[in-house]
Amino acid sequence: MKTKFAALSFGVGFGFVMAWARLADQHVIRNMLLMREPDVFLLMGSAVFVAAIGARLLRARGARALITGEPVAWNSETPQTRHVVGSVLFGAGWSLAGTCPGPAAAMMGEGRVAGFIVAAGLVAGVVLQGVVARLRTSDSPAPVEISGAAGL
Amino acid sequence: MIVDRCPWYIAGPLLGLMIVGLRALLNKPFGALGGYVDLADNVLTPRRLGFRAFLLLGIVGGGVLYATTLGTFGYSSIGENAAAQAGILLTAGVVMGFGARTAGGCTSGHGMTGMSLGSPASIASSMTFFATAVGLAQLLSWFGGQP
Repeated sequence: MKTKFAALSFGVGFGFVMAWARLADQHVIRNMLLMREPDVFLLMGSAVFVAAIGARLLRARGARALITGEPVAWNSETPQTRHVVGSVLFGAGWSLAGTCPGPAAAMMGEGRVAGFIVAAGLVAGVVLQGVVARLRTSDSPAPVEISGAAGL
Repeated sequence: MIVDRCPWYIAGPLLGLMIVGLRALLNKPFGALGGYVDLADNVLTPRRLGFRAFLLLGIVGGGVLYATTLGTFGYSSIGENAAAQAGILLTAGVVMGFGARTAGGCTSGHGMTGMSLGSPASIASSMTFFATAVGLAQLLSWFGGQP
């Protein structure tokens, strides 16, 4: 319960800031991808920088997560073919839509039709991938569990 | 104006701090795609929905909060040639969902969280999707096909 409330709260914070920074505006994303809005790259870079320092500080102090009690830790993953193949597809869709999974959710909150259409596509896409992955691994004894730093 | 648009040097560090906060409270990575996966897998048994789905629902709520405070609700249609536009957006969504689940993350999961943790798979994924997206955007603009 606490976990879900915390996740919901962080989600609200994320959605608000993304919308406020206009990341939920397809024109902004298109301009970024055309290298006309370097601000968005700086935004992502500074987020990565702050998150990198914060996560390492927590781990160095041997901190435990306040709600779950787990020790703060994460796995590093080795790049595999699926990371590159999947990301080529993802990048193509991102470019076409001018939005990606997070901002599309914020767009729905803002009542933008495009957000609902992209989100419907995303759900269809993840379901399709699940079906295909299950068919491809049905011969092997254990299903491939995708889990790593990115959390899927 | 800061009210009109949050500048990168505030928004970026704020997002970074929230990624750290999620780590400090739950030891979980921030990724939006996981929410779609969670919803798709567990929507029929809502009690099984986990933090990923709630994170995503929160983002929708954040959009609502922004629109009711600093922004405006935009019920705007998607422009001229609506059917074609909708088709492109839906297709793009399917391709993104399929690709990101294959790669194990999206712009937030790999691009922000995984990058910040220095995960080689996230670095490879992010470089790939940024290069693809930038390249395709350029191609589309040359051929005038920008949707």
